[in-house]
Amino acid sequence: MKKSIRERTGKQDVLLLILVLFLTAFGLVILYSVSSYNGSVRFHDAAYYLKKQLFATALGLGVMYAASRIDYHAMVALAPAVYLVSILLSIAVLLVGKEINGSKRWLALGPFSFQPSEFSKLAVILFLAWQIDRSRKKTSGFWFMCRTMATLLPIVGLVGSNNLSTAVIILGIGVVLIFVSSPGYVQFIGMGTAGIGFVAVFLAAESYRLERLAIWRNPEKYEKGFQTIQGLYAIGSGGLFGRGFGSSLQKLGFVPEAQNDMIYSIICEELGLVGAAALIFVFGMLLWRLSVISMHSRDLQGTLICAGIMAHMAIQVILNISVVTNTIPNTGITLPFISYGGTSVMFLLAEMGMALSVSCHRKTELAYDK
Amino acid sequence: MKKNMTFHKKKVWVVFLMCAGMLLGLMGRLVWLMGFRSDHYYEKAEELHERERDIKAARGRILDANGKVLADNKTVCTVSVIHSQIKEPEKVIRLLSAELGISEENIRKKVEKISSIERIRTNVDKETGDIIRRAGLEGVKVDEDYKRYYPYDTLASRVLGFTGGDNQGIIGLEVEYEDVLSGTPGKILTTTDARGVEIDEIGESRMEPEKGDDLRLSLDISIQEFVQQAALKVMEEKQAERVSVLLMNPQNGEIYACVNVPEFNLNDPFVLNTGEDVSSMNTQKAQERLNQMWRNPCLNDTYEPGSTFKIITMAAGLQEGVVSLEDHFYCPGYKLVDDRRIHCANRRGHGSQNFVEGAQNSCNPVFIEVGLRLGVQKYYQYFRQFGLMEKTGIDLPGEAGTIMHKMENMGNVELATVAFGQSFQITPIQLAATVSSLINGGNRVTPHFGVAVQSEDGNSVKELLYSSKTGIVSEDVSKKVRDILETVVSQGSGRNASVPGYSIGGKTATSQTLPRSANRYISSFLGFAPADEPRMLALCIIHDPKGIYYGGTIAAPVVRSIFENVLPYLGIKKTAVKTREDNS
Repeated sequence: MKKSIRERTGKQDVLLLILVLFLTAFGLVILYSVSSYNGSVRFHDAAYYLKKQLFATALGLGVMYAASRIDYHAMVALAPAVYLVSILLSIAVLLVGKEINGSKRWLALGPFSFQPSEFSKLAVILFLAWQIDRSRKKTSGFWFMCRTMATLLPIVGLVGSNNLSTAVIILGIGVVLIFVSSPGYVQFIGMGTAGIGFVAVFLAAESYRLERLAIWRNPEKYEKGFQTIQGLYAIGSGGLFGRGFGSSLQKLGFVPEAQNDMIYSIICEELGLVGAAALIFVFGMLLWRLSVISMHSRDLQGTLICAGIMAHMAIQVILNISVVTNTIPNTGITLPFISYGGTSVMFLLAEMGMALSVSCHRKTELAYDK
Repeated sequence: MKKNMTFHKKKVWVVFLMCAGMLLGLMGRLVWLMGFRSDHYYEKAEELHERERDIKAARGRILDANGKVLADNKTVCTVSVIHSQIKEPEKVIRLLSAELGISEENIRKKVEKISSIERIRTNVDKETGDIIRRAGLEGVKVDEDYKRYYPYDTLASRVLGFTGGDNQGIIGLEVEYEDVLSGTPGKILTTTDARGVEIDEIGESRMEPEKGDDLRLSLDISIQEFVQQAALKVMEEKQAERVSVLLMNPQNGEIYACVNVPEFNLNDPFVLNTGEDVSSMNTQKAQERLNQMWRNPCLNDTYEPGSTFKIITMAAGLQEGVVSLEDHFYCPGYKLVDDRRIHCANRRGHGSQNFVEGAQNSCNPVFIEVGLRLGVQKYYQYFRQFGLMEKTGIDLPGEAGTIMHKMENMGNVELATVAFGQSFQITPIQLAATVSSLINGGNRVTPHFGVAVQSEDGNSVKELLYSSKTGIVSEDVSKKVRDILETVVSQGSGRNASVPGYSIGGKTATSQTLPRSANRYISSFLGFAPADEPRMLALCIIHDPKGIYYGGTIAAPVVRSIFENVLPYLGIKKTAVKTREDNS
């Protein structure tokens, strides 16, 4: 019986795989369209960004395949070590990190650079799954919540010192996993209220954060609202069907660093409302598959891993699109699979591999499991 | 290892539903931004991407009554350099310096300046521009452009006016009809990236410029030329400071000629017509002198009309019925008004005379008497009724208003002087327009140059309309005025204006300018023909003539020579039979 657990007893979730491959390919095509101008202006190579992303994607696809073949229990077993490594890497960034665009977020590895904060998200998902699974006591108390969150503080602090947005994502993953693992609802309403109060105090403490709010309300009036405004111009000028693939004008230096956080605005401009909404739909499908895999997992570890991955995807997609459409104040979060960033796409594909691994072990096995 | 329980799955599903809800909300946001607000953002984005370059529209021409071109466009070039495209700076500097006659040093400064485009010189001849273009040096740009060109140089300079660097009117008709002439500039819209580099694949969209409409005038270049000759001749003979002549149709206000000699060269409007060098003056003084030169004395300046104004007093007196043609007057050489003795031009006096003879003699006491009979209130009323308090509405900018006593400050002495044309000032065009109205049967006409606005091919023509006011004097009074003025020429002080075969009416004037002690005179003559149905009115004003300064002696002959030539030119037939009968 023990042996049967080790076996790959279910089929991989093909729909998830298709969605992931589609998003990866779509992301590369869009990235080339968006980045070719900046690439040729800065590096005299229109494919500069594409080539780097292609390399990371190829690597990522390999990692995904490997992860999907490995039993996720083995990965969870390694979680404490993975978590420790991510903390060490984050410390290393603080000490010997490479600065790009004014932020010290990268570790240089020869010709490649590596962003440990991307790795830390994956590490946190695994670590939480391991921790919650291990906790003997009931998982509904306030003490459980606090203790679990507290274990995240080192990595949140380390990552947050130079990359606040990623720290917020990590916290978000933590909250979702705690929410999933405890049966009640009421304490989360209290927690939500406390969170809102905390955000209010956090904003009021520093005037520059309030300024962000003011820019959000009236981006045209502030110099710092430039990026937001340019994004809105791109989105708005897309109209129903867009200017057509490759025909964006806003990517020609108007939207700063269009291949990064603001890439969705160029998608809107080129593919229009139809294309932009379709992309949201594809992301929605992806979240749906992840939630289905999570629910059908035969044990809590699988459920939590998939729930964590779903939370990670959902938070980034929702926050990114909200920022680009100026629905919430500006914060730097990339769009999964599409925005430029090798480390990000590599670990996202690794996470998808993990989800595929979970999907291999379906609930149908429970019959003889018991 | 824990099992997953139902609540775990339920909660995962709750998380998913929350996320799906937020994604739906974001789709709604997209619908708002890309559906409802799309036009707004699209427009803003276009503004950002498009670079606009104006294409100058060719300015409409100004044509005379017979379609001869008085103001035209010629192609000129603007030479500029584009720093980033220049490959051989030394060659460029040498070529431009040689062809444009600018020192190498100055051109070097512009060539070496790091800017997107630097203009070297505008209004370069087309031939020079072609030479520079043919040299084919990279980074040198030759743009064709239009420049205003006046084929007749000085002719009607103050009427036509000229244009400035952007082809906008500066003075004269060029200003007044700016909207008609200027046309609509075209645009070249190119799409650029954020650095301002044009995106070739998108290409440029052009909005072709719309040429300005042509303006057709009543002014006839042949008449203008002849009148100018006549004016120059008398100016030279009398060593006068300047001479103005107005020639108009008293029936409809069309102006045939408006000469103010010395004129200035419209193709070189910043060169003084006195031969002085502007560059030797300081800027303020130079500008003052130029402004002075550009003034049109026929309407920008006022003067004391003198005896020609007696026509107005005459018409007012006849209309009010305070005087008739047969009324008898006695002139002892002066007239006492209150306690003032006001002299007649003839100090020995004209003796006994009727009203018509008084007019022939241009006798001041007679017209003082008529003025006093009217009284201040009535006189003022007619002054207003004849339109003298308003501007004529001529289609040139800067018309001066009448400078007149306030009615409450007007006593008998002031009234007496006004009655024979002194102590107040009007513009020459005002006098011509008012007398036109008095002799044409009482229709106050608007003097004007512009007759029609038409397309270049002449296919679409829009006639210009001017207001007129009827009944300012009765037809009967108008006829009496014409008859009296006819006798002034046939038998009185205007004899020198008579042309055999034509019946001519007119009135002379000689007035002293202020200060009186300077002994400077303005001699003038106002004439019209044919006297019974005037089709032409001429006003000649000679400023500061030397020697004999009587209007009847020096100004009337100018009008005679004009009538002699222009009346037949306009096809106005001689009434030979009638004249012979009169003479026999």
